Amino acid sequence: MSIIEKLNAVKSTVPHYWPIGSFIHHNPLKGFEDMHFKDALVKAQSIFGGKAYMDSSYYKDLYKEGKINDSIFEKNIEKVLADRGFNIPLEFAKKFLMEVSPQWSSLRVELLSKQEKIDNGLYAFLQEHSLYSDEKAWLAELIKHMTLYEINDALFGLDNKDGIEKSIIEFISRFLDEDQTTMHMPNRDLGMFEVFKLFEDVNYTKDAESFVEEAFKELQVQDIESYFLTHLLKLHGWAGFIKYRSEDPDNVSQQEYPSQLIDYMAIRLYYELKAVKSNKISTFKIFEAYADANLSDVILQLLKHKNMLFGIALDELEDNEETSKVLADHVTNELHLDALQIQHSNEVLQSQLPLTELSIILDKLREEEGYIWLKSLEDSYISHYVDEVINVVPVEEKAIASATFCLDVRSEVMRRSIESLGAYETYGAGGFLGLPIAFVEFDKAHELFLAPAIIKPQNVVFELPIEAHEEYSSKKGMNKTTKKVLSDLKNNPYTPYIMVEAIGWIFGITLFGKTFSPIKTNKFFSKMKPNKPKTTYTLDKLSADEIEFYVKKLHTKIIHTVLDEYDKRNCSEDNVENLRKHLLFNNELQHDLPQSLIEGLKTSYQITPEDYEYQKKKLAMVGFTLEEKVSYLYKYLTMIGQVDNFPEFIAIIGHGSVSDNNPFESALDCGACGGNISLPNTRALCMIANTPDVREKMKEKGINLPENTRFIPGLHITSTDEIKFYDTDILNDEQSKKFSKIGDDFNEASQLSRVERSQTLPFSKTKEEMLIKSMDWSETRPEWGLARNMGVFAGPRAYTKHLELNNRFFMHSYDYKVDNDNADILRAIFDGPLVVGEWINLEHYFSTVDNHVYGAGSKVYHNIVSKVGVFSGNYSDLKIGLPIQSVFLEGEAYHEPVRLISFIEAPLEMVGKAVENSIAKEFILNEWIRPIIIDREAKKVYSYENGEFIVIKEI
Amino acid sequence: MIYNILFLTLVGGIPYYLILEKIPAIKSKHIFLLSAFLLLSTIILSAYVPNEHKTSLVIVSLVSSLFTIYKATKTTNFYKLAYYFLFVNAPFFVLYEGESALYSLSLLLSLLGLYWIGRFYERNYGSANYRYITGITLVRPYIGTYLTFYLIAIALYPPFPNSLFFLKYILGSESNLLWFGVVITLFFGNFFLAMNVMKKTLFGRPNSHIHYVHMTAREKMPHILIIGMLLLFSVFGLKEILL
Repeated sequence: MSIIEKLNAVKSTVPHYWPIGSFIHHNPLKGFEDMHFKDALVKAQSIFGGKAYMDSSYYKDLYKEGKINDSIFEKNIEKVLADRGFNIPLEFAKKFLMEVSPQWSSLRVELLSKQEKIDNGLYAFLQEHSLYSDEKAWLAELIKHMTLYEINDALFGLDNKDGIEKSIIEFISRFLDEDQTTMHMPNRDLGMFEVFKLFEDVNYTKDAESFVEEAFKELQVQDIESYFLTHLLKLHGWAGFIKYRSEDPDNVSQQEYPSQLIDYMAIRLYYELKAVKSNKISTFKIFEAYADANLSDVILQLLKHKNMLFGIALDELEDNEETSKVLADHVTNELHLDALQIQHSNEVLQSQLPLTELSIILDKLREEEGYIWLKSLEDSYISHYVDEVINVVPVEEKAIASATFCLDVRSEVMRRSIESLGAYETYGAGGFLGLPIAFVEFDKAHELFLAPAIIKPQNVVFELPIEAHEEYSSKKGMNKTTKKVLSDLKNNPYTPYIMVEAIGWIFGITLFGKTFSPIKTNKFFSKMKPNKPKTTYTLDKLSADEIEFYVKKLHTKIIHTVLDEYDKRNCSEDNVENLRKHLLFNNELQHDLPQSLIEGLKTSYQITPEDYEYQKKKLAMVGFTLEEKVSYLYKYLTMIGQVDNFPEFIAIIGHGSVSDNNPFESALDCGACGGNISLPNTRALCMIANTPDVREKMKEKGINLPENTRFIPGLHITSTDEIKFYDTDILNDEQSKKFSKIGDDFNEASQLSRVERSQTLPFSKTKEEMLIKSMDWSETRPEWGLARNMGVFAGPRAYTKHLELNNRFFMHSYDYKVDNDNADILRAIFDGPLVVGEWINLEHYFSTVDNHVYGAGSKVYHNIVSKVGVFSGNYSDLKIGLPIQSVFLEGEAYHEPVRLISFIEAPLEMVGKAVENSIAKEFILNEWIRPIIIDREAKKVYSYENGEFIVIKEI
Repeated sequence: MIYNILFLTLVGGIPYYLILEKIPAIKSKHIFLLSAFLLLSTIILSAYVPNEHKTSLVIVSLVSSLFTIYKATKTTNFYKLAYYFLFVNAPFFVLYEGESALYSLSLLLSLLGLYWIGRFYERNYGSANYRYITGITLVRPYIGTYLTFYLIAIALYPPFPNSLFFLKYILGSESNLLWFGVVITLFFGNFFLAMNVMKKTLFGRPNSHIHYVHMTAREKMPHILIIGMLLLFSVFGLKEILL
C-alpha cells in the first residue's frame, strides 16, 4: 500500500467542510454511514471522544414530561435484555436507568470523601478486569491518537503543541485565504507544499508524498494509517476543508492554488520533526525504551496531561512522592470508587445478584442506555404521530389559491396559518423545486449553485435588468468603492493603526445607531443602498450563432484592449480579427507582433483554443430547451402531486433569512439551495410555468394548466416571517384585485406565524422585536432556524393539516398515485430532500449531544478566517457544526436530538423500490433516519428496524 | 533585633518551608490558616508597637518572595497558593509595616476567598488541587465568578482594593533601589501567578472525566460576604487615592 493509499484509507473519517459562505449542513459522521447508527456511534466515540447521546438525566426529564411513553420505554428495555441475553427482570433494568444512572457521575463525586468498607470480592474482581492490571495495555490506550510531540509535552511538561498548531494554522489559513486579506501569500499557484518549502526555507527537492514517507521513517512510526488519523484529528476542521477542496474539481480556489491532504500532512510532520529533534524523545523507538524503563512515571504523566489524575494524586506528585506509589494510590482510589458506585447502586436496586455479576450487568446496561432512551423517545413520537394521521379522512375543497413552500421546518407554521384563513391549499417541496440552476445575479460575476450540494446544476441562468438602472449603477459604484477602500484599510496589516485615529469615529455612528436605535439606523442605511431594478431571467437557450457571437465579442474586446495598449496604430478591426484567429485557429499572423504579447494573451487572458471551446460550452449551458422546461415543470408538479384542479393563483414561495453580523447567516437560508436564498429557483420555475408553449407541451403530458392560472413567485423571510411576492405585473387588472386580497391574507398569516413563533424565541414578543433581532448586530440567535427539527412527512398535506407540528417537520408533498411503478418520484425525494434533511438533522443532533466535539462552540468568540469559516479567538481549528447558541438556550438543550423520523405515505413495495435505487439507501438501511411507512392500501404502518420492515400498527 | 526576627517569622516564607512543610501532620490548609493568623496579629501589633524596618530584613524577605514565586509556579493547590501569595507579598509588609495594613487586609480577604474555594474543592473533589478542574467558568459560572474576582484582585487590577492600596503606598513613599525591587517583584509576581491560575482553571475546555458540583446557597454565603467586604474596601481605597 502506498502512502497516499494509506492516507485515503483513513480520510473518510474526516467529514467534508463546506465554506461558510454557502453553509451546507452535514452529518459530521458521514464517513461512518456504512455502519449501523448505533455501532457507528461507538466507533466515533473511540476516535473523536465526546458523547454520542444526551445524558440520562436529560431523557429522564423528558420521561417525566410524558414525552417518553412508559410502555414503549419498557418494550425497548425488554428488547435489549433479550438481545444481549441479560437474565434480569425488567423492573431492575428500568430502575437502574431511571434512578441509578442519572446519578452515576455525581454519585462518584459524593463517594470521593467517604471512607466506607469495600466488598473485597468485588474489589478483586474489578482489579482483575480493569485496564490498570495490564500497564502496557493501559499505556497503549493512553497514547492512542497522540503525536510524538504531544507525548513529549506530557512527559516533560513542554509546550510543543501550542506552537506547532499555531504555526500550522497560520500557514494554512494564509494559503487557503479567499480574499480576506489584502496581502496575499505569494506563489500560491505552486501548490501548498511547494509554497511551504519557500515559506519555511526548507531545502527539500522532492514532493510531499516523499517527505511524508521519509518523516515516518525518521519518527519510526509503526502503524502509518493510525498515525495519519492521529494527525488528521488534531485540526479536523481544517483537514475537512482541505479534503473538500481537493475533491471538488470545480473549486476555483483549488484550481488556482492546489492543496491536497498529503501536503497538509507533510506540513504537520515537518513541524513535528523540527520540534522533537530537540526533545528527549525523538522517535517512537526511543519512546518505547523510555516507557519500558519508567512505566509508572510515563503513565502518571500521561494521566496528568489528559486531566485524568485526581487532585489527591496531583498533590502527592507535587510533594515528590515516589511515582509507583502515586500510581498505585491512584489505581486503588479509582477501583475503590468503582466498587463503591456498584455497592451504592445495589442499595437502590436491592438486587439479589452477587456484586461481581451486578457489576458486569451495570456496565453493559450503561453501554446500551443511550440508545434505549433515544429509541424510546423516537418511538414515542412515532406512536403519537401515527395515531394522529392514520384515521384522517381528507376533505376535497376548491382552493382559491395554492402556495408551495420549501419543505423546510420553518414553513410549517406559516402554511398552517395560511390554511386557517381561507380556501388555500399548501404544498411543500425541496427549496430548489427540482430545478437545479447555476445562477448569476444581476451585477455579480460569479455563479451560485442553487441546488443541494450533491447535485451539480447543468443550466445557467443570468439575471438581467428590464428597466433603466443608472441610479442603481451610480449608487452601487459609489458603495463598492467605499467598501473596497474601507476593507483594504481594515485588512491591511499596517493601515488600521492610522485608520482608527483618522476615521474610526465614522464607525461610531453605526455602533451607537445599531445598538440604541436599530430600526431607524437600518432605515437610514437602506436609503443609501441602491434599489435593484426590475429583472428577468435568461431562460431560453442561445442559438449556435449567438454563442459564437458572444464568444467572439468577448475575445475581440480583450484583444482590442491589449493591442490598443501596445500600439494604437495597429489596433484596426482587421488586425484584431487576424490576431484572434491566429490565437484560436492557428491562422497565419499577417503583421508583426512581439511574441511576449501573444504569449501574454494566451496565458494571462486565456485566449486559447481550449478556452474558446470552454466558453462555448459554458454559453451552451445558458437557459433551457423547451423539452427541459417542460420536463422540470412536469417533474415539479408530479413530485408534489399537484396535477389537476389548479386554482387561478399558484404561489411558489422560496425562503431566506436576514440577520446582521452573523457568519452563519447562510445556515439559516435554504439548505436545498446549497445554503442560499431560493428566490431565483421560484422565479425561474414560475416564468417557465407561465410560458404558453410550455403549457401546450404540458397538455401532451396529461397536465392541463388552465389559461387563466398564474404562477407567482414569492419570498418568505424566515427571521421576520414576512412574505413578499415578485413578478405580479403579469396579472391583469381583475387578477391583480383578486391577488391583492390573497396578499392581505398572507400578511395576516405572517402575523399569526410571528405570534406563534415568538412563544419560543427569547426576548421577542412583538413584530418590532423580531425585526430588531434580524438587524441587531449583537444578536446571537436571530431565529431558531432548524433547531428542534425531528422528522419528515412525505405525503398529501390533507393528512397533517389538522396537526400543530410547531416547525419541527420537513413537509414534502407527495402523492404515490401520481408516481410510476418504479417510484421514481419518491426516489427523487430520497435523493435530494431526504439527503439534505438527514444532514441537517444529524448536524443538529451531534452539535447538541457534544458541542465541543461536533459543534462550533460559542459564537461570542468566533472570528472569520480566510473567508472560509470561523475559528475561536485568534487561532484555532476551523469550527465545524453549529454554534452553541443555535441549539442551546441558557445552558439547556433547546434542540431535541432525535434521528429524522421519516413518515412516508406510500405502499411498502414502492418505498422498497425507491430505497433500492436511491443514493440514500446506505443511511436508510443503517438507520441513520427512522423510516415509517404508512401504507393505506395494505392498511398497515411499518417501521424499518434491524434490517426488516415490521408492522407497528394496523389501520 | 528580636522584634525584627519575630516579624520575619510572622510574614516571611522560609521558616514555613524549612519546618512546617516538612511535617506530614501539618497540611497546607493549616499552614495558610496559621500564617494568615500571624499576619493579622502582625498588622495589629504594628499598629501599637512602632518599629523601623531593617534594610537587611527587607532584602531577606525579597529573596524569600522570589523563591516563593518559583514555588508557586510549581503548585496547583489552592491552599498552598493561598499562603504562597502571602509570602510573595512579605517584602511589602516589612517595608511598610503599619501603613500596609489595608493592603494586607484586602489581600488576606482575597486569599480567604481562595481558601474557601479550596475547601469547596477538597470537600467535593477530594483535594484543593485545581489542575484537573478546568473550564470552571463555562460549567459552574458562580464559582468561576468568585474565583475571577479573587484572582484579579490579587493580580492588582484596578479598581479592586489591593491595587488601590498598593498604588497609594507606592505613590506616597520615597523610591530607592530596594523599593524598585520590591514593587516590581510584587507587581509582576502577583500578576503572573494569578493569571496562570486563571488560565489553568477558569478557562479552557471543561474536563469530561469529572462531574462538576454546584455550590449550595450556604456555600455561596462566605463568598458573597468576602466580595461585599472587598467592594467596601474598594470604595475606601478610591476615596484614599482621590482625596
